[in-house]
Amino acid sequence: MEGQSISISGSGRVSGGEYGQVRISGSGKVEGDVTAQEIRVSGSGRFQGEVKAKEITVSGAGKFTARVEADVLVTSGSCGIDGDAEVKELRSSGAQRIGGSFHGHYVRVSGVLHVARDLETDVFTSSGRFEIGGLLSADRVEVKLVGDSRAREIGGENIDIRASSGLSFGFSLARGFRLGIGTLTAGEIEGDHIHLEATTADVVRGKTVHIGPGCRIGRVEYMESLEVHPEAEVGERVKR
Amino acid sequence: MFCYTGLRSAHDRGNGGAMDEDLIAKKDVLEQTGISYGQLYRWKRKGLIPEAWFIRKATVTGQETFFPREKILTRIEQIRSLKEEQSLDELVHILAPESTPEMVKCDDPSLLAPVGTEGRRLMWKDRGYTFGELVALACGAHALRAGTRPAEAKLLVDLVRGAEEAVRDPTGITALLGEKSLDQEGFSVRLTVGVLGHEPVKLDRESRVKHRVDVEKVAEQVKLALREVA
Repeated sequence: MEGQSISISGSGRVSGGEYGQVRISGSGKVEGDVTAQEIRVSGSGRFQGEVKAKEITVSGAGKFTARVEADVLVTSGSCGIDGDAEVKELRSSGAQRIGGSFHGHYVRVSGVLHVARDLETDVFTSSGRFEIGGLLSADRVEVKLVGDSRAREIGGENIDIRASSGLSFGFSLARGFRLGIGTLTAGEIEGDHIHLEATTADVVRGKTVHIGPGCRIGRVEYMESLEVHPEAEVGERVKR
Repeated sequence: MFCYTGLRSAHDRGNGGAMDEDLIAKKDVLEQTGISYGQLYRWKRKGLIPEAWFIRKATVTGQETFFPREKILTRIEQIRSLKEEQSLDELVHILAPESTPEMVKCDDPSLLAPVGTEGRRLMWKDRGYTFGELVALACGAHALRAGTRPAEAKLLVDLVRGAEEAVRDPTGITALLGEKSLDQEGFSVRLTVGVLGHEPVKLDRESRVKHRVDVEKVAEQVKLALREVA
């Protein structure tokens, strides 16, 4: 497995294959499928072909035109994956874009995450901004809202969406200016235990549901309990 | 007799496939089985519940998700009864259609309940049956048990045997035997045809369905039976 290592620090291109380390600090292009222990992009790197690696770090600009498989992907720069991503652990403090769907165990967003299709993970935590074109599914969804995030659907066991602390000064004021206050927009939210703040959704379904300040929910279906904050709007409430 | 294989592309299954099936709303699944949203989403993530079973429909109260009733309830039952002894990841190998055992070699298919002694007369070699071939045999045996003639059951076996792709991803696939009668000027002919395709499979009005096999269900039964034998 321990192949040779390559390092591109000027401008260059290499062909795919099996490598130990791939380091791109200048401007580099890798043509063909790559398997590597470690990939580090601190300059601008373009990977044309499938990529499999233990660890991928992008602090510059990384572009992957096909599927990416990794144990760990850390983005602090800008990273675009055109295909699907199968990544056990994703930590993004930069800008991460995935053109397909994402499958993994742990996702932490503190920058921006954009997934065109589904995002499936065991744990999803965000203190950044995200946009999920399909279903966001996780056992634990923990979100601290910053900026405007959206997902077509959210489903899981525990879903906890909190507004930034500025909210305690009164939402009506905050909504007028929306300075630094984040929101979440979703079509459908389903979970066993749901806590929402500053969230707009068509339907919320859950066992125990807490609708906090700043929420606008079309319809809530709950099984055990429902609490609604006075500064929240709920169209319909249905107990099943 | 002739065979016709009609596999549609992967894109147009699901919505069309379930039109005539009996559906159950997601919340009713939870209520009836007592499972939680967390479990349902977890099983979906693990691939234990196929994507194609999630059918989104517009209702008076907005979008809702439905499932093919029998399939989802059976699957949840299976997951629960197997979960006692297996981890979720092991379950995926047993139940999920996309993880078809590729390396299976079975020397005596009649030991597997879905094939059984009825299936013995459909066998065409002494040993070394692959998974796809076992599913084909089981489909034939299924027809024999329902009283179909062996020659017709063989038709079904050949049909499924030749459709590797269908066995690898059998969600929503049906194999059936149709019969068409032609009566003309004093003599009549009855033709039996084998048809394989995604539901809804339609025959013309002058043909009738003699026997219908849910390939997905049979593939699952074979998988479970293989485990019991091992």
